[in-house]
This record gives sequence, structure tokens and C-alpha cells, in this order.
Amino acid sequence: MPRTMLETNNLVKRYDGFTAVDDLSFEVYEGDIFGLLGPNGAGKTTAIRTIMDIFKPDAGTITVLGHPPGVVRERIGYLPEERGLYQDQKVLDVLVYLAELKGTSRSTAREQSLLWLERLELSDWAQKNVRDLSRGMQQKLQFVASVVHDPELLLLDEPFAGLDPINVDLLKRLIRELQKDGKTVMLSAHQMNLVEALCDRILLIDDGKAVLYGDLAEIKQRHSPGTVRLRTPDPVGELPGVARVEQRDDTLTITLKGITPQDLLRTLVERNIALESFEVTTTPLEDIFIAVVKERDHA
Amino acid sequence: MRKVFIVARREYLVNVRRVGFIVMTLLVPLMGAVGLFVAAFFGGQAASFFASTFAPQEGNIGIVDELGAFTPLLPQYEEQFTLYGDQEQGRAAVRDKVIASLLVIPEEYMDTGKVTIITREGGFSAAILEDSDTVQEFFVDHLLQDEVDPKVRARVAHPIEPVPVSLEAEAEPEGGPLSVILNLVVPYFLGILLVMTIFVTSGYLLQGVAREKTSRVMEIILSSVTAQELLAGKVLGLGALGLTQIVIWLGSSVALSGGTVGLLGIALPLLVRPQVLVLGVVYYILGFLVYAVLMGGVGALGTTQQESQQLAGIFSFLAAIPLMIGGFMFTNPNMTIVRVLSWFPLTAPTMMLLRMPMTEVPLVDVVGSLVMLIIAIPVILWVGSKIFRMGLLMYGKRPGLRQIVRALRQA
Repeated sequence: MPRTMLETNNLVKRYDGFTAVDDLSFEVYEGDIFGLLGPNGAGKTTAIRTIMDIFKPDAGTITVLGHPPGVVRERIGYLPEERGLYQDQKVLDVLVYLAELKGTSRSTAREQSLLWLERLELSDWAQKNVRDLSRGMQQKLQFVASVVHDPELLLLDEPFAGLDPINVDLLKRLIRELQKDGKTVMLSAHQMNLVEALCDRILLIDDGKAVLYGDLAEIKQRHSPGTVRLRTPDPVGELPGVARVEQRDDTLTITLKGITPQDLLRTLVERNIALESFEVTTTPLEDIFIAVVKERDHA
Repeated sequence: MRKVFIVARREYLVNVRRVGFIVMTLLVPLMGAVGLFVAAFFGGQAASFFASTFAPQEGNIGIVDELGAFTPLLPQYEEQFTLYGDQEQGRAAVRDKVIASLLVIPEEYMDTGKVTIITREGGFSAAILEDSDTVQEFFVDHLLQDEVDPKVRARVAHPIEPVPVSLEAEAEPEGGPLSVILNLVVPYFLGILLVMTIFVTSGYLLQGVAREKTSRVMEIILSSVTAQELLAGKVLGLGALGLTQIVIWLGSSVALSGGTVGLLGIALPLLVRPQVLVLGVVYYILGFLVYAVLMGGVGALGTTQQESQQLAGIFSFLAAIPLMIGGFMFTNPNMTIVRVLSWFPLTAPTMMLLRMPMTEVPLVDVVGSLVMLIIAIPVILWVGSKIFRMGLLMYGKRPGLRQIVRALRQA
């Protein structure tokens, strides 16, 4: 069983009678990339702010690295949704100051800042004022500010918001590298397709309530009926465990019911059907989300 | 504690480079240097320079002597005064700028003492002429020249040469008007300077907080340090900044006056009553704490820097009240309004800093104001840091009274 880095139990946060976070319970395991997903206004930022001890929860408990919120600030990196840095100061000075506030020594802070600036191709800007940087560069700088003190747990609130596709890819790569280094990452996003491939586990929320929670692969398996796309010149005939077959030319899209793609493949091989291609397709998370929310609203 | 220090160091280093700070810090020594230059240039003649600026007409005064007691003129006045046969000639001379003013002494002068003074502009120069030493001596000498000797005449013209001695200040070295200035004016301006450093540095705190809030950098900072640590670091760093300013001012005044003299001028009145010096330091620190914490909280409340500054204006006005009534304080440093303001925590530091050097402040006022301040500071600190924390994270809207109360209850 992996170590739990972050845990909330029945977390509730209200503003003036409006419940922004409603009874959320989840765990983030060591070494995972955990996605807190949901549409705009679902309560993601509020949940993250209570974890960061910026807001006090109205009910429920939070345990961060084994402590209540606000105790181990040094070992956490935080990229807030509201971005901002000291505009009239030098890039390097800002990074060193923020790292020092996280308990890093001055010399290490300097060293690490320069290293990260190089990694993000911002070295030439180290002695420039923050306000001289372009919007994209400031976004990257903001990310550096959250990792420069080498935290164990990283909380990124909408890290991809406002980034162009090239920088989205860069950031994804960096997050994967951090994971390889043994860091735990929790990130929030409203564009689910953007992070689907990145996350190990997710919590999908809507109106402050949990909609889907757990291992992403499991969720997909549980909620996507399982769809297989195959190409064959032969007629396939009646197949067991198949809900629906759509045919276009020689390509069949088969929706499974109660069997795995593996079962279907076995049947096809047993029947000696010539396969030109066999592809297991998954339903996009967004479609699952919409389906689950619709189902919930009907109930 | 380490984080408090890191915040303090940054606040200090960022603000010490501000143009506003540098200008203000250099302005005071600069003014001192200009003052010294003026004094050196005009030397002891400064007084006569001012006198001649205000009464340049003394040199040529016309007299119309209807009484007859001034004819002929005494030889020592012939150069400055000219006799005219009648008013018409005299008036023509004033009009033609031959003389600056004309004194008409009527026949009934001995009964009424009335003398008509005719000048081109009237008003101010006539009043100065009436008060002028030369004119006084001119009258006394002419009226009494045959009756009394010159010494008595001089005393009649200038009966009193005041040498003020205060019983309370009996122990002080006598120094004529100079010591009065040193004892009253220097500490008063010193008080104003101290008060200014409090406002300037707590103003920086306000701006810094408001800027961090509007630039949204606050959320990152608060993920690293607590609001209390942040506020404490800011107060400490800016306190050190204020101290730097004072040290530079004092140091420059010592350097400008060639060492001891300047230092003595400032320190002497304070050293005569060392308790004033000690209490001054105490009030300065307490005053800075009250305003720094207050400005920190207020700075966090506004949605923009401008709004924060408007809110802060209310408090700055309170603190400036003692400066406004400073003039009255010279006449009575223990009047009721002064005593009331000495007790009120928001005006106490400024009031007492200005008041103490002027007079022996009743002990009950000192104890009372200190107790009030010592009670008020933790309360302001507590409320301030709560409001600070809440205000920092509210963007776009200023928290209402209800939300502030709720934030305090939650604490």
C-alpha cells in the first residue's frame, strides 16, 4: 500500500450560504499524479485553498503529509490559480526570496533557481525585471516558483490555463519528470482531455460534490462500456456479449456488454475471422463525466 | 523566526532603494546645510539683514513739526531725518520718493500723543515705523534733551531688555533667547520628524501590502509563511528603515555642525531631563507599532492601492491632530484637549512626543497613556492580523463589517 501524502475527510466549505465544497473525501498517494477535475466553478480552487490553509474548512478534516494544514509549508509547492509575482523586481531575486521563505538556504535557493531557469530556457532573463517578461514566460516563471524549493508534494491549480500548446507539452513533460523523481503531484484542471493521459488517479467534482473518484484506468473501464474498432473483410455474424455493432465499409465499431475486449478477440480468433486491425478504444473522460452527471440528475 | 527575518530583510532592502525614501532622507540634511550656509554667509548680521528687509524706509524720514519741539533737529539725526515746512511739501517729497515716510507732529501732540504717519503704501510699513527703535529714540531725545542725561533717555526709549528665566527650568544653563529656542523649538521639530518617520514607514507598509495583494503574489507568500509572520517581518523591516532615516538625520546634523555643537543642540534639552529621552524612545516604538499594524490591516482591506490609501487616510488624520494643535500647545502644554489626546491610543504617541519636551507632563498622563497603549497594541495586533489575513485573499470586493466580525469570531 503506497503512503498517503494527502487526505481529506468529509470536507465542507461554505460562503454566505453557498456550499462551494460539499463533503469531499479523497486520498493522494505518494508518487502519483492526482487530478482534481471538474468544470469551472465546481469548487476545485476552494478545495485546494483549504488544503493550503488559506481558507479554514467549515467541516471535515485535512491531513497533509501527516499533519493538519499549514504545519509543513516547507515541503509543499503551490501554484495558485491567481497568478502574480513582484513585477518590479528581478526574476532571480523573486525566486530566491520565495525559496528562502520555504526554508531553503540562500545559496541553495540561488543555485536551484538558476538551474530551473535554465531548464525552462529563461536563463537570459534572470537579471531582468519580472514585468519585462512575456505572459507565457511569466507563467513558466510562476511554475518555477512553486518547485524551486524541491517540495515533496506539489499542488498545481489549473497549471495549463492560458498556456499555448507548446508550453502545455513542456509543462506536461516537466510534471512527468517530477513524478519520475519521486514527487507527488496534485493538479486541477477544467479541460479534462488535457490531463487525461497524465493522471494516475482522479477526483471529478461538480457543484462541490464528488462525481467520480479513483484509479483513472478503473474508472474508464467501469464507465466506458468498452468499445472495439476492427477491420475485417469477413462477415462476423452474431457475437456473444455485444450490445451494438456499427458498420461503415469494412470497419466495425463494436460496443461490448459484460465481456472484455480480450474475450471478443478470443471469440474472433476461434471463428477464424481474418483481422486487418483490432483496436480497443476508450470513452473520453469528458463523455463519462457528462453521462454520469446526466444519470445523477435523472435519478 | 527565521522567516520573520527573511521578510524583514527583504522589506528593508526593497524600500531603502525607493526614490521617495532617499529624497526624504536626504532632504533634511540638505535643509540643514542650506541653513548653515545662510548663517555663515550673513553671520551675525542676519538680524540686521532681516530688520533692513522689513524697514528700509528708516533711512529717510520726513518731519513736519507743527509743535515746534523738534526744530532744529539734533545733529545726530540730521542724516536720517529731514524737516519740511508744511504738510504739502512733505507729501510731495513722499510722492517723489525723496523720503519713504512723513511724520506729522501736530500742535496738540503733548496732550494726545497722536502723530500722523504718511507713506506711499500705508499699512505694514507705517506699523513698522511706529515700532522702530530709531523713531522711538528720536522722540525721546528731542523731548527730553535738556532735562535728563543720555543714559536715562536711552532707558526711557527702551525700558526693558527681557532675560526670561523659568523656575521649572532653573537648573538649565542661561543662554538668553537661544536656550529658549533649543528647549522648545528643537524638541518640537524633533518630535515632528519622529512622527513623520512613523507615517512614512507605515505608509510603505500600507503600499507594500496593497501592492502584494493587487499583484496576487500574496497567495504564494501565505503558502509559505503565516499572516502573523508576514506582518511581523514587515513591521520589523520597516521599523529598521525608519531607524536608518533617524540615524542619518542625526549623523548629518552632527557632521554639518562640526560635531558636538549639533548633537548638543538636540541632546542638551533632552539630557537635562533624561526621562524625556527614555519616554520619547518608548513612545516612538509604541507609536510605530500601533500604526504599522494598523496600516498592515488597512492595506489588506482595500481592493486597489488607491482604495487602501483612502481608508488609511482616516487614521492618518487622527494621528495628525496633535500636529495641528501644536501651536496651541506652546502656550499651554497641559490643556484639556491635549490631555485627552494623550490618553487616546491612536493619538497618544504623537501627542506625547510633541508635548513632553515642552513641559513637565503630569505623571498620571504618562502612566495612563502608556497603559492604554500597552492594552491597545495587542488588541490592534490581533484584530489587525485577522483582518490582514482575510483581506489579503479577497479580491474584487472589500469585506463588509459583517464579514470582518465573522473573521474575528472564527479566529
